[in-house]
Amino acid sequence: MATRENNDERIALLQGTLDLLILRTLLLGPCHGQGVARSIRRQSEEVLFVDHGSLYVALQRLEDRGWIRAKWGVSDNNRKARFYSLTSKGREQLTEKTSEWRRLTRAMGLILDGADAQGEEV
Amino acid sequence: MFRRKRSAKDFEEEIQAHLELEADDLRGEGLSEGEARRRSRVEFGNVGAAEERFYMKDRWAALENAIRRVRFAWRSLAQSPGFTITAILTLALGVGANTAVFSVMNAVLLRSLPVEDPERVVYLRTSNTPSSVGTISSTETFSYVVFDALRREGKGLAPVMAFAPLSNDKVSVRYGAQPETAEGDTVSGGYFSGLGVKLPLGRGFTDEDERTHAPIVVLSHKYWVRRFASDPKVLGQTFHVNGAPMTIVGVAANGFEGTEAASSTEFWIPFQSRPELNAYGNAPENGKTFINNPKWWCLHLIGRIAPGMTHARAVAELQPVFQRAASEGLGTPKPEEKLPVLSFADAKSFPGYDEEYGKPLRMLMAMVVLVLVIAMANVVMLLLARNAHRRREFALRQALGAGRGDLFHQLVTESILLVTAGGALAWAFAVMATRLLANWAHIESTLAPDRSVMLFTLVVLTIALFVFALIPLRMVLASGAEQALKVSSATAQTDAGRSRTGKIIVTHQMSLCLVLLVGAGLLVRTLRNLESTPIGMQLDGLVVFGVKPDIKSVPQGVAFYVDLMNRLRALPGVQNVTVMEERIGTWWSNNFNMLVDGKLPEVANGAARTVRNNTVGPKFFTTLGVPILEGRDFADSDTASSPRVGIINEEFARRFLPNQNPLGHLIGPADLPSFQMTIVGVVKDHKYRSITETPIPMAWFNYAQIPMIGSMHVEMRVSGPPLAILPSVQKTVLEIDPNLPLLRPITQRAQYDLTISNEILFARLAGFFGLLAVVLVATGLYGTLAYRVSMRTAEIGVRMAIGARRGQVVWMILRDSFRLTAIGVGIGIPLAMLVGNALASSLYGVKPMDAASYLGAMVAVGVVALAASAIPAARAANVNPLRALRAE
Repeated sequence: MATRENNDERIALLQGTLDLLILRTLLLGPCHGQGVARSIRRQSEEVLFVDHGSLYVALQRLEDRGWIRAKWGVSDNNRKARFYSLTSKGREQLTEKTSEWRRLTRAMGLILDGADAQGEEV
Repeated sequence: MFRRKRSAKDFEEEIQAHLELEADDLRGEGLSEGEARRRSRVEFGNVGAAEERFYMKDRWAALENAIRRVRFAWRSLAQSPGFTITAILTLALGVGANTAVFSVMNAVLLRSLPVEDPERVVYLRTSNTPSSVGTISSTETFSYVVFDALRREGKGLAPVMAFAPLSNDKVSVRYGAQPETAEGDTVSGGYFSGLGVKLPLGRGFTDEDERTHAPIVVLSHKYWVRRFASDPKVLGQTFHVNGAPMTIVGVAANGFEGTEAASSTEFWIPFQSRPELNAYGNAPENGKTFINNPKWWCLHLIGRIAPGMTHARAVAELQPVFQRAASEGLGTPKPEEKLPVLSFADAKSFPGYDEEYGKPLRMLMAMVVLVLVIAMANVVMLLLARNAHRRREFALRQALGAGRGDLFHQLVTESILLVTAGGALAWAFAVMATRLLANWAHIESTLAPDRSVMLFTLVVLTIALFVFALIPLRMVLASGAEQALKVSSATAQTDAGRSRTGKIIVTHQMSLCLVLLVGAGLLVRTLRNLESTPIGMQLDGLVVFGVKPDIKSVPQGVAFYVDLMNRLRALPGVQNVTVMEERIGTWWSNNFNMLVDGKLPEVANGAARTVRNNTVGPKFFTTLGVPILEGRDFADSDTASSPRVGIINEEFARRFLPNQNPLGHLIGPADLPSFQMTIVGVVKDHKYRSITETPIPMAWFNYAQIPMIGSMHVEMRVSGPPLAILPSVQKTVLEIDPNLPLLRPITQRAQYDLTISNEILFARLAGFFGLLAVVLVATGLYGTLAYRVSMRTAEIGVRMAIGARRGQVVWMILRDSFRLTAIGVGIGIPLAMLVGNALASSLYGVKPMDAASYLGAMVAVGVVALAASAIPAARAANVNPLRALRAE
């Protein structure tokens, strides 16, 4: 009997953020797809859940763009897996996208917080 | 950039790895084995969907782009239906005509025999056949002794096969009650196995069958389908060949129609010793059939080069065996005689086809290639004109941000659509045309377009596509957004360079058109000459058919034909009946040197002494309607016991008995000096073998007085439609012998027409392609001129505003096209002379420099030019100067 997973506390990923998350995860070192997914979940304290289908399509897209590269290797527990690592182009992208994201969140924060403050004043 | 694509399998493995890693992790968290697996799957979601997304990721984008472009191109083409339809039809005609002629050429000249590994199969050829032997063809046929020696001792060919037709013609066969005719070969035991021809039903022959002369028969697939309705139960049934019962043991693979030129064999039997199944239907000579007669070289040999052998080594290895066997049983050769030499001919296509159809087909191919060049030039001009009109559209799109690449892709997509539509239509057109060609040419082997025809068409279409894609490229490279937008609509489009291109193309088209018209004119005149050639007899009302009775002795044969003629004469509507050994109008004739009054006649400066002759029945010339100039016709009273009589033609009298009364002189074949006949008649010259033959001395003997009689042809003059008599004739023949079908019944006129069927076909096709060229050139010329006038509307407006009269404007336009015509004709005439010379051997009664054909072609090109310019000129004359200027 399958019970329905309780996903209430999870948030779906914002469009376009998955690439950034993958690049950031890979900054720590080469990792396979499952490791990336798990790492995102763990680091976000189980809030961000990656749809695995999208993850692999994204990995493929990044590889095609030359931001990451991949090769088959062996995992810690002796399983064959495809390991992804950042390329220098990917590193540049990560820096660029991170600062973009920071500016975006700051701007979002300014508006959301500012609106809140204004509301309180009235 | 080179990007390595991942395979779907690789991707699948990665997902598998993911699931296992996830399950490992979950197990580490304390879940049970099964639960860990289940959870890993649930968390992943839909594996199949992920794989699908991976697979489609790149494809979608490209596909969507392509679809968008095709849609756009389609809309743009649909906006100018006149252009689109003209371009597609022009392409379809040009490519279709090429495909049709190529598929005939392919079937006749290029295609290999439908046997296993045809590259290693060769026909055997010889030169210097021993002079003491008789042959069917001095270079292509061998004796059984030679065949057997090559088969037993020759290691170069493994194996060697032999075959010979049972008749020059069809033979009598019977299945069930109804006798009919079919084309059959007698073959060696290894024929099917050696060629690697499969037998989907039953079996082929073995060497044992050959040795024992087994009375068995294999049917061709085509015959089995047509005559036996594909009934698998025919195996074991009896099939009579020339009266001899044979058991059907197999059906050969579909598509295999024998190894003989220009015919499709319908059945095969192993070599037989029975005289009625002798090769070529000949009566055994001194009781010997082809198997035990070393002096009769009648077998065609075909072999497969042994594994590990080359062509040259195989010949070298067989040569001594052949030369020894060639002299076997012939006695000592004459001292000056050269040794026969063996050689191979590739079994690529059927031998003999090339001689018959090779030249006309190559000429036709050249003609349709010219037509194709004209057609492509037309489409090029149409595209140029259309794209020039659209320069402002392109400039606008570029200004709005479309890249040059986008424009180019768009234009190429349009070309692809045009070529695809044109190609599809061309294929349909070609399939139809091929069927017509096959009917006309009487080519019996299958002409259905095969893979090489498909490839040919694709290559032509690719070339077309390439040419058409270059034009937009040039267009796009030349156009800059700013420039085209800046200038006015009128001046932007009168680009000097481009109109020169158009002029050059039109000029070339005119010259090619002239060449085709001259060629067509020569051939059509040839055809007319052929068709109006007097045969020298009254063909209307004549019908002819063959009979091949089983005759054991001369008196029996004479009695048979006397009986047959008497019965046929009694039929209502029959005016006259006669018989002949050689059917007239079939290219065949008996020839030999003739003794006149006991010696070979003196002829001036070595002219030929050869006389054609035929052995015929009573009232022969009366039946045919050939005028008798002196003496009499053969009569029923000329019998074996009456004095031997002969009849000659005018030419015989003129050459061998000049200035004397020929009646009463003695004539006879030189190799039978004791066999002399008295000339009792002289007839007017008439055609014997074919419509195109020139008069040659001829002599006729009476069938009852010649000690050889067998198969004969019956000629009947009837009132009413000639073929309508046949059913009652067949009934009469069956009353005499239930095994006798009428062989090739046909009217005598149709029989003669067969001798020019190639010429007729060739001339008709040439005429058709000439006409096609005229239509194409006319449309091309019209398109170009109309386009040029429309581009010059403003200029014409200005001219008329400052006082030019209509006549002057019209003349301006006409002068332009006449100049192009004059140049085109000037280039075309020397080209046409070359073509005329190449055609010389196909002409009849016309010189290659026939003035009428040249004049006609020139007039035709001029008329086309005039007609094609008249409409644009009239339009130019009607230009309203004010409106033309205001439009600027």
